[in-house]
Amino acid sequence: MVDHVLRLKLALLGSAFRGIPSAVRAVFVLVLAGAVGWALIVLAQTVDVEQEGHRAALVVIATVVALGIAVAPLSAGLGSAMEPRRFAAFPVPTGQLALGLMLAGVIGIPGVLAVTLGIALETAWSGTASAGLGIIAGVLGAVSVVLVSQYLVALAAQLAVSTAAARLVTSLARLTILLALAAAAIAVMLVSQGESVSVLVELSVVLANTPMGMLWAAPDGASASSAARILGGVIMVAVMAGAWPWVVRRAIEAPRRTQSAPSLRGLGWFDLVPATPSGAIAARSLLYWTRDARYRVVLIGLPLAPVLMMVALAIAGAPVPLLWLIPVPVFALFLGWFSHNDVAYDHTAMWLHVASPVRGVADRWGRAIPPLLIGVPLILVASPFAALWSEVAEVYPAVLGTGLGILLTGLGVSSVSSALRPYPAARPGAGPWDQPPMLGVAAGWAQSLTLLATLAFMGPALAIGITGLVENDAAMFALAGWAGAATGFGMLVLGILVGGFVFRRRSPELLELVART
Amino acid sequence: MVSAKPAKPASPPRTKPTTAKKPVAQKSGTTPAGAQPARSAKAAAAPLVPEEPPVVVELRALRKTFGSTVAVDDIDLTVRRGSMFGVVGPNGAGKTTTLSMITGLLRPDSGAALVAGSDVWRDPIAAKKVTGVLPDRMRLFDRLTGAQLLYYCGMLHGLDRATASSRSEDLGIALGIEASLNRPVRDYSIGMIKKISLAAAMIHSPRVLVLDEPFESVDPVSTAQAIELLQRYTASGGTVLLSSHNMALVERVCDSVAVIVDGGVLAVGTLDEVRAGQSLEERFVALAGGRLAVEGLEWLTTFSD
Repeated sequence: MVDHVLRLKLALLGSAFRGIPSAVRAVFVLVLAGAVGWALIVLAQTVDVEQEGHRAALVVIATVVALGIAVAPLSAGLGSAMEPRRFAAFPVPTGQLALGLMLAGVIGIPGVLAVTLGIALETAWSGTASAGLGIIAGVLGAVSVVLVSQYLVALAAQLAVSTAAARLVTSLARLTILLALAAAAIAVMLVSQGESVSVLVELSVVLANTPMGMLWAAPDGASASSAARILGGVIMVAVMAGAWPWVVRRAIEAPRRTQSAPSLRGLGWFDLVPATPSGAIAARSLLYWTRDARYRVVLIGLPLAPVLMMVALAIAGAPVPLLWLIPVPVFALFLGWFSHNDVAYDHTAMWLHVASPVRGVADRWGRAIPPLLIGVPLILVASPFAALWSEVAEVYPAVLGTGLGILLTGLGVSSVSSALRPYPAARPGAGPWDQPPMLGVAAGWAQSLTLLATLAFMGPALAIGITGLVENDAAMFALAGWAGAATGFGMLVLGILVGGFVFRRRSPELLELVART
Repeated sequence: MVSAKPAKPASPPRTKPTTAKKPVAQKSGTTPAGAQPARSAKAAAAPLVPEEPPVVVELRALRKTFGSTVAVDDIDLTVRRGSMFGVVGPNGAGKTTTLSMITGLLRPDSGAALVAGSDVWRDPIAAKKVTGVLPDRMRLFDRLTGAQLLYYCGMLHGLDRATASSRSEDLGIALGIEASLNRPVRDYSIGMIKKISLAAAMIHSPRVLVLDEPFESVDPVSTAQAIELLQRYTASGGTVLLSSHNMALVERVCDSVAVIVDGGVLAVGTLDEVRAGQSLEERFVALAGGRLAVEGLEWLTTFSD
C-alpha cells in the first residue's frame, strides 16, 4: 500500500512536465529550488561557525528557509496536494496511509530541500566539536520540516473550502516563501558586509528559543542548552509523528469539514452558560467563534499579526527587547476590533433576535463574551512574559492594564458600531477568506473609525505609558495600567449600554442592511 | 370570525380593538357596534356563541413603500382569536412585506399593527412576547443543532432551562424531527428547515403565529403533521396568520382568507364569503386580474419545423 502512495506521488511529479505551460512552470520551480539548494550547500561550506555573526546568520537563515520549505507544498496550488482526505473513499488502512503520505512528503522538491537543509547544517558544523550535534540536529530538522509541511497540507485542505480560499492559501504560501528567501538573502548580505550583526544575533537568540529555530540552533551554545534544544526537537518530532496517524484518521473519518459531533444528549456550550437570553447568545456566539471558518481564521491570524510586526521592526533595526512590548496591545487591539461587524456575520439569521423580546443589552453582552473569554486569559498570561522580556523595569502593570483596556475599549466601541453600521461580510458557510464582492466605502469607514476610536479612547492611558517609557518612570507605568484598565471597563459598560439601545432602536434597519449582502 | 375592510380610506382610529366591531366586507354591510353573530358557521372549535372572539391581530392603514413602489397600500385587517387566517396573493403582492411589519422585522412607513392589544412598533417587547414568527427566506443559525436552535429560541423568549428543553423534545416529536435534533441545522433539507422553524416559532407558546409560506417545499406527510399541530393550537385558542401560494391547502385549512393584490386587500372574510360559491383558486384568479388573454405570442403557436 505504501508503495502505491509513493508511486502516485512520482506520477504526480512526472505529470508536472506534461503540457508546455506546466512544463515551463515545473522547470522554473526546479531551477529556483536547485538554486536554493545549491546556495544552501555553498553557504554551509563558507560559513565560519567560530564567528558570532556567522553562527547567528546560520540560525536565522536555516529557520526562515525551513519555514519556506514547510509551506512549499501549498504554493503549488492545492489541486495536486496529497492530503489525507483525498484517500477517504478508498479502503486504505489508516496506518499505512499515514506512513505512505509521510514518505511521499520526502519525495519531491520540498522533501529534497529539507534534506539538503539538514545536510547543510551538518556541513556547517563538520570539523568542529559540535559535529555530532550538527548531524543529530540536521536529521531532526529535516524530519520536522517534512512533518510540519504534511500537517500544513492537511490543515490547508480544511481551510480551503472554496476556490477563492484555495487561491488565497496558495498565494499566502508563495508570499511566505518569497519573504523567507528575502530574509535569508538580507542575512547573508549583513554578514558578508561585516556590518553590525547585533540585530542578527538578537534575532537568532529569539528564534533559538522558538520551536521553529530550536533545532537549527542546537549545535550552537553551551552543552546544556544544546541538549535542551535537541531534546525539544526530539519531543516535537515524536509528538508530530505520533499524532499523524490520528490526524489522518480524523481527516478521513470526518470528510465534511462542517462535521460536528454533538453528544447524544446535551447542548454543548448552552449547558454551561446561565439560562438567560445573554447567556444563550454568548453560547451561540462561542459556538460560532470555535466552529465557523470566518471566525477561526481570525483566531489563527491574531497571534501572527504581532509576531510579523515584531519581526519587521527587528529587521528594520529596532531594539529587540523593547519590541516585546508590542504583542499584547496589538493582539488586544485587533481582537477587540474584530467584533465591529459581528452582526453582519449572522446575516439574515439575525431576524431571530429582532423578532424576539430580547433586550439590546443582552444581545450586546452575549456577543462580547467570546472575545473576552479568549482575550482576557491570554493577556493575563502573556503580559508578565512580555514585561519580563522587554527588560524594562516594572513595566508589567502598564502592559497588563493597557492590554486589558484596549481589549475592553475595543469591545465597547465594537458593540456600538456593529449595531450602528454593519457592512456586508462573508456569508455564513463561506470560506475563511471569502469577502463579499461589494465592500463599499462604508466598510472602510467602519473599519478605520472603530480602530481610531479605540485608540483615541485609550489615548490618555497609552500616553502615560509611553511617557513612563521615555522617562523610565515606574510610577507612570502603574498609573498607565490603572488608567487603561479603568478606561476599558468604563468604555465596555458604556459601549454595551449605548450599543444595546441602538440595537433595539434600529434592529429592523439592521436586518435590512445585513440582508443586502 | 373575521371582519375587515377592503383597502379604502381607513376608519378613524379606535382605541379599544377588542370591543370594536368592523363592518364585514362585501357581504353583511354595516352593522351596529356591539355583539352580533355575523360570523359564518365555519368557526373552528368554538361553538356558535353570540359573542365574537376578541381581535388578536389588527392592522390599521399599514403602509410601506420601497422607493416609488408602494408595496403595501394602507392595509386594514382584523384577525380574531382561534382563527386560521390565510393571506393569499400573487408573487410580489406584498404578503411578505405585510407579515414582516406585523412581526417587527420591517418598519412600516405609516399605520399601526397591533398584536394582542400591543402596538408592534410602539411597544415591541410586549408584542413580540406573544408572537411566534416563521419568516420566509431568512437564514437560521445553522451551525447549531436542531435542539440547540430550539433551546436558543426558548432562551431568547425568556423560558427557563427545563421548559425550553422539554418543549424542544415535544415539538420535535410532534413534527417528526426528533431523530434529527442532534444534527446541525445546516445539514437539514429545506422541508426540515421549515419544520424546525415552525417548532422555533411555537416554543414560547405564543398567542399568535405569523407564518410566511410555512408549507413551501414540505412533503405531504409533514404538511399534514404540521397542519394537525396548528389545528390543535387554534382549537385551544391560538391564532394563526399564514401566507401561501397553495390555494387548495388554504382552502382546506383556513377558516378565513384575505386576498392581497398589489399591496391592497381585494377581498377578506370567512372562506365561504371570499370564494362566493367558486373554488378559491377560481375566485383568486378572477380577483387578481383574471386570466389575461395571451397576446403577442403568436410565434409560439407556429412551430419552427
